[in-house]
Amino acid sequence: MARLPFTVIGGFLGAGKTTLLNRLLRGSAGRRFAVLVNDFGAVDIDSRLVTAHGGDTISLANGCICCSIGDSLVLALVRVLEKADRIDHVVVEASGVADPARIAELALIEPMLERDGVLVLADATSVQARAADRHVGDTVQRQLDGADLLILNKADLVDAAQLAQTTAWLQARQAGARVVPAVHAEVAIEALFGLASNGAPAAPTAAASAATPPVRRWSLSTRGLIDRAALLAALAALPASVLRAKGILRLADAPLQRSVLHMVGRRIDMRSDTPWGIAALRSDLVLLGTPDMPADAELDRLFATVPVTPVA
Amino acid sequence: MSSTVIYPARRVITMSTHQPFATHVAVRDGRVLGVGSLAELQGWGAYTLDRRFEDLVLLPGFVEGHSHAFEGGVWRFPYVGFFDRRSPDGTVSPGLKSIDAVVARLRAIEREMTTKDGPLLAWGFDPIYFGGRRMDRGDLDKVSVERPVLVIHSNFHVLNVNTPVLAKAGIDHTTNVHGIVKDAAGQPTGELQEIAAKYMAYRASGIDLAAALSDEQAVWRFARVAQLAGVTTATDLHNELPDSTVAGYLQASARDDFPIRLLPAFGAIALPVEDGVAKLRALVRQNNERLRFGLVKIITDGSIQGLSARMRWPGYYNGLPNGVWNTGPDDIDRLLQAYHDAGFQVHIHTNGDEASEVALDAAERVLARTPRRDHRHTLQHCQMADAAQFRRMAALGMCVNLFANHLFYWGDIHYAQTLGPERACRMDACATALRTGVPFAIHCDAPVTPIGPLFTAWCAVNRLTASGRTLGEAEKIGVPDALHAITLGAAYTLKLDHEVGSIEVGKRADFTVLHDDPLTVAPEALKDVRVWGTVLGGRVFEAPAG
Ligand SMILES: [Zn+2]
Repeated sequence: MARLPFTVIGGFLGAGKTTLLNRLLRGSAGRRFAVLVNDFGAVDIDSRLVTAHGGDTISLANGCICCSIGDSLVLALVRVLEKADRIDHVVVEASGVADPARIAELALIEPMLERDGVLVLADATSVQARAADRHVGDTVQRQLDGADLLILNKADLVDAAQLAQTTAWLQARQAGARVVPAVHAEVAIEALFGLASNGAPAAPTAAASAATPPVRRWSLSTRGLIDRAALLAALAALPASVLRAKGILRLADAPLQRSVLHMVGRRIDMRSDTPWGIAALRSDLVLLGTPDMPADAELDRLFATVPVTPVA
Repeated sequence: MSSTVIYPARRVITMSTHQPFATHVAVRDGRVLGVGSLAELQGWGAYTLDRRFEDLVLLPGFVEGHSHAFEGGVWRFPYVGFFDRRSPDGTVSPGLKSIDAVVARLRAIEREMTTKDGPLLAWGFDPIYFGGRRMDRGDLDKVSVERPVLVIHSNFHVLNVNTPVLAKAGIDHTTNVHGIVKDAAGQPTGELQEIAAKYMAYRASGIDLAAALSDEQAVWRFARVAQLAGVTTATDLHNELPDSTVAGYLQASARDDFPIRLLPAFGAIALPVEDGVAKLRALVRQNNERLRFGLVKIITDGSIQGLSARMRWPGYYNGLPNGVWNTGPDDIDRLLQAYHDAGFQVHIHTNGDEASEVALDAAERVLARTPRRDHRHTLQHCQMADAAQFRRMAALGMCVNLFANHLFYWGDIHYAQTLGPERACRMDACATALRTGVPFAIHCDAPVTPIGPLFTAWCAVNRLTASGRTLGEAEKIGVPDALHAITLGAAYTLKLDHEVGSIEVGKRADFTVLHDDPLTVAPEALKDVRVWGTVLGGRVFEAPAG
């Protein structure tokens, strides 16, 4: 059975985690999410979409379920995995003081899960003050440090100079940080959770297109052998607007194996462990991003710098 | 007319100031009709004289202000700790003095198991007494290489597992996860810590584990362990209180032979506050003589020995980074305000002194916004508080329940590693509580340490660590003050001092019956005073000889 992607959403109290989760539950684009939340009361679900409400779980017409974490995340997760055959993706809302990167590590000791992204929201109006707070500063800094992708929320509540300054501050405290500005946690859900990464762009549902900005997509396909180091360098040079990348690659240094690339924000996982089998000997790379993602021509130019050895 | 029983005793220690000692106590309708001499009590009319306590000493029933019914849950599984521990059936589970002894015990249990591949779970293990040697998967593979074997440490935050558990989870040298301990060669040793430990415990033993740890049988086992130690009132000081648990508690406590009064504290983080307040109000309506809902618990930080307590400057003695918040400062404010406004009493877990500071700040703000007399919000553990923090508790009308057992079980570690000598010598500062006038109790936090108020009192009186070091002469208290802390003092922190905690006319006939007189034995021998049994609401519960 395929592993379930496991995404952790972190961030301090008030950063907008619940807003993002509400968007996800509304615009799931056909993927059945199990969303584990801290505060059931804060989740805003249209009651017409609820098909069952049993104690600590709400089932929705679109196949998603929303589960209350109560006082034990571990127990809530173990319970959700009992329903693994009915879900496609597990999303956990970390508590406002938890370290989301630590929670994401559970995917490394649970064979049913595959670590996806650690998405951390930060409140543009207060994140710097919070990070300097006597009691919670270290907690906030740990959350920021563990992020694969930082969503700088409430960008509309600060002026352009402040936004630029806060973005620069986030980037200065962590080399390679990917910071995406957002208003009301509006980030292309489909790109954020990889809903459109396989083949053609997913047909967005009406709800999804209404609730989230459109997703930008760029892809590359080649039969040649790709240079690993140069590819990683090109990926690392991408701007934050490229939220994720997914690839099945044939690398020059491991031509007999399928290499699977998985990128969320700044985190890149590359595994070269399975033989090609009957699959076509070809490399496919897809980037997903926000509307601010660079134009196709610019991305074409960037990846043209990656050496590809033609195969006879 | 109801019948009256008069019990003569070697001595009745009442904890009441107007008559501290007496020779007789009269009981009618489950309550104390009077205490004094036989001549004084005869005036109440016809009575039966019951001489069974004639050579024994009566005290108010002990009140354990911070324990968990989870103690009864874990007794479903074998105990493999270093120290002897009394089990619910009264037998003593002997302490295991080496890792090999633990392995031998587990092998014997494994051979008796009826399933072929079911998990073997044990608890109470503590590696700090084995001279630095840690248990590893090689040890537990000697127990079985087929079934999962899991040994939970006494702190409940660390776990040792055998190779099958690691293999099933796909944990190997490539697994880089915080809390998975590796050896010099980079291989996992089988020791798992914190979230990884907790996850694996539930994953390997199935989701039924949680229910089994909190069912009706579990609360019976807890009540029996408490009763054997002379306890008549005990808290279950953090519970999400799902319907299944509540049903079990109601059924158990409905029986006359349920031997304790149980006070569950609702874990405030489990539900949105409006739902939590409504739930608690509904639960309070189901209260009976032996079951009292109404307490609320907030957990702020972690533990000192787990290096997860929130410490003020200068932090941990060994230089490790500060601990973690379980509930952040904003949420502490919000939860405390909501339950305070709803009229409930809130118990706040604070181990480190930064956590205590944040809790005091929150209480100060809440009380400024909505003043309330006699709230008795209580700091629980509060192990590192300094004198200034105690003065703030006094000023805010707060109580404290200090974790005296820590002095013995982890005092050496605190002295050498976590707190350093100065702060270790002032931890769990009972004498400071007394001097500053903060009403206080002392506790065991069972199952983290065994339930046994006389042992807890002994810790507060002698402040000896497991290795025999005295931690802070200045914070020792006398035996009478320690006995107060495990009776009336603890009852006060639970708002039950009008009902239990002393032997006085009108109060519940809850007694602890002792073979020896704790006020005449040497203070160093307080923990060895033998418990004969208890009386709860006039019903006698004799403990089997230990
Ligand atoms: Zn506790």
